[in-house]
Amino acid sequence: MTTTAGAATSVAAPGTREVSGARSRRRRHGDTKVAFVMLAPLVVLLAIFVIWPLLHAVYISFFTWSFYASSEFVGLDNYVNVLTDQAFLASVLRGLGFAAMVVPAQLVIAFAFANLVKSFSGRMAGLLKVTIYVPAVISEVIASIIFTIIYAYRGGILNWALSLVGRDDTAWLGETGTALPAIAVPAIWIGMGIASLIMLAGLLDIPEAYYEVASLDGAGWWAKMVHITLPLMKNIFLYLLVTGFAGSLQFLVVPLVMTNGGPLESTTLPNLFIFRHFTNDLYAGYPIAAALLLFLVLGSVSAVIFRLVRSEKAVDG
Amino acid sequence: MKRRALLGGLAGAAALAAAGCGSGKDSGSGGKTEVTIWQQKFTDQEDAWYKKAVAAYNAAQDKVKVVHQIVPADAWDQKMKAAQAAGKAPDVFTLNYNKVQGFARTSQIQALDGVIAADKWSGLQDSVVGSITYKGKKYGYPMLVEPSAVLYYRKDLFAKAGLDPEKPPASWAELIDYGKKLTTKQVSGFSTAGNQIDMGWSTWGLQWNAAGHLPISDDWSQPRATDPAYKQLLQAYQDLYKQGVMPKQPLAAYADATPFGQGKAAMMACGSWAASVLLSDFPKVVGNVAAAPMPSFDGDATKPTATLGGWTWVIDGKSTKAQAAADFIAYVLAGDPALLVDYFKTTKFSKYSPRTAVADTISSDPAAKENPWAQTIQDKVVKYAKPEPTYDWSISLAFGKAIEKALQGKDIDTALKEADAEIKDIIAKNNLAGQGTTS
Repeated sequence: MTTTAGAATSVAAPGTREVSGARSRRRRHGDTKVAFVMLAPLVVLLAIFVIWPLLHAVYISFFTWSFYASSEFVGLDNYVNVLTDQAFLASVLRGLGFAAMVVPAQLVIAFAFANLVKSFSGRMAGLLKVTIYVPAVISEVIASIIFTIIYAYRGGILNWALSLVGRDDTAWLGETGTALPAIAVPAIWIGMGIASLIMLAGLLDIPEAYYEVASLDGAGWWAKMVHITLPLMKNIFLYLLVTGFAGSLQFLVVPLVMTNGGPLESTTLPNLFIFRHFTNDLYAGYPIAAALLLFLVLGSVSAVIFRLVRSEKAVDG
Repeated sequence: MKRRALLGGLAGAAALAAAGCGSGKDSGSGGKTEVTIWQQKFTDQEDAWYKKAVAAYNAAQDKVKVVHQIVPADAWDQKMKAAQAAGKAPDVFTLNYNKVQGFARTSQIQALDGVIAADKWSGLQDSVVGSITYKGKKYGYPMLVEPSAVLYYRKDLFAKAGLDPEKPPASWAELIDYGKKLTTKQVSGFSTAGNQIDMGWSTWGLQWNAAGHLPISDDWSQPRATDPAYKQLLQAYQDLYKQGVMPKQPLAAYADATPFGQGKAAMMACGSWAASVLLSDFPKVVGNVAAAPMPSFDGDATKPTATLGGWTWVIDGKSTKAQAAADFIAYVLAGDPALLVDYFKTTKFSKYSPRTAVADTISSDPAAKENPWAQTIQDKVVKYAKPEPTYDWSISLAFGKAIEKALQGKDIDTALKEADAEIKDIIAKNNLAGQGTTS
């Protein structure tokens, strides 16, 4: 489209070109105004619900602040308190460990599932898509309750199943070694639906012609996977990695309902740590400073992922 | 024109949103002053009593309309914080004794001395009044007290295990020994708090019992968690867990007596409120249940094993209807004792009144016999119990964490040292030194 227009312009007379250029500039100018108007609702809402609260949060993080007593300026004290609090640093590291358990597992399973759905057609594919999407529409609270029942020490389904093969009861949520992996399972389950559908959309977006040509060249399943599917799914992986890491680091409801951060804080993820301080502390400066620092951590993690897995414009446009 | 209309619409929407965010308090209904009360969700019977009390006050006068709302316990903190942030906190709300001084210090609640007449404060237990007093002013009106730790046990399971049902464990060694004998594949020998949050408050009485003090000095200037006397408390929990006497995963929250009622535990540490749950929901097991004080570490039964927690009613620090709110509080909690006696009847006499007039009426009520454990709890637990500590919750949590570390098999000395360091840090960061008057 652009090429055709360009060719038409190149054969026009010089005078016509100037008039046309001026018209084009005017149109561009007009387009910019329309674009601004169309963006305005979003910008206004963003300003009210994101930018202003963020700026306000930064401002009050420099105070001993409560909703009642008069605030006192304390400079960077809240930040120093958070950064010297081993419990906060431990919660962030724990969050990264949790994300490292959840995201790769989610990507692998979702990729395998998307390939499975792609290989089916019609009703079966539809049924599979609905099945995998169900966890995404179940609330995190319900999912947490379901898994708490599964993991129950006495009368839990998992211990019952393992007792059939002679294994003693395990306190899945009661021991520091098993609690975090135990809550990672529902986290993987909850995020699987959306990840699988995005993966499927990515797979379906790869032109079939590539695979046909590769087949003609004698490429097998593995060669097609390594040389066609995986490179063309790179941006999908990148998107799911960034959103998955950011989402996993921010899990709140699952640990809150299933373990309340225990045992021994082994499941206290960063947001639960901040949430507890926000609801228990008499002043809100500390949790606000902690939340802003977590915001920086999330930004840094996303930047690192972008750096490591450079995104590229899709080759096939 | 269209663009202008669009921008105008957007500006209007933004203004509406802003107005919605900052709307002020209600100004009354039908010419009456509207006072709101939030009550934490308790049992259905208690909730019904609150409704009745509000209805009685609304019918008794025509100047104030009290609006009552029940808030689930697990949503309380979030809902209250959100309401406080929006300037829409209720005028009156229920609050634990241990939070009163912190709320008063941060101006979240108002002093009641000026709005509730002096004569309404007479006949209240001194120790309870101490819990609601900050810098010489009273910030809450006490409703009830309830000991935080009582030992309930199943007499039938005792007999089955070859133990004397009339002889509850008198020492921790006995408690562990009995627990081992009572433990089966389906039934835990002893059920108690199993995480740092529940242990943070449910062991206050045992902290007193083990060391004769709480893990912070009376003036809140120094941590006292490394007192070697605390080792026996942490050791007891470690042994209970290690030897499989208590379940590896809590059967329920400490305050919930349901698993014991369902027969999943042979002994249970729980507050006096458990009596109400057992009598209402598990009448069939009541005949087989006995109550006793928690064992004392040195065998001295006159030492405290529980703290007296409970609920008080307070007025929000920003309430502009303090007098109307206070009149309502005084009507319900300091007025005709009959209204409150009805509450204690409703809760099967599992709680105790700090007001002499009410307590006397209850003790002479023949229906009090309906609770077979009330007298034992009154004579052997309440009599020696201490008031709840009033310092910041984070200090209790630091000590609860030490007990949980012991429970999970960590070194006890290290756990206590870490708790001590954490409490010291909390004192410094929150500027607590010198703020404590009682502990």
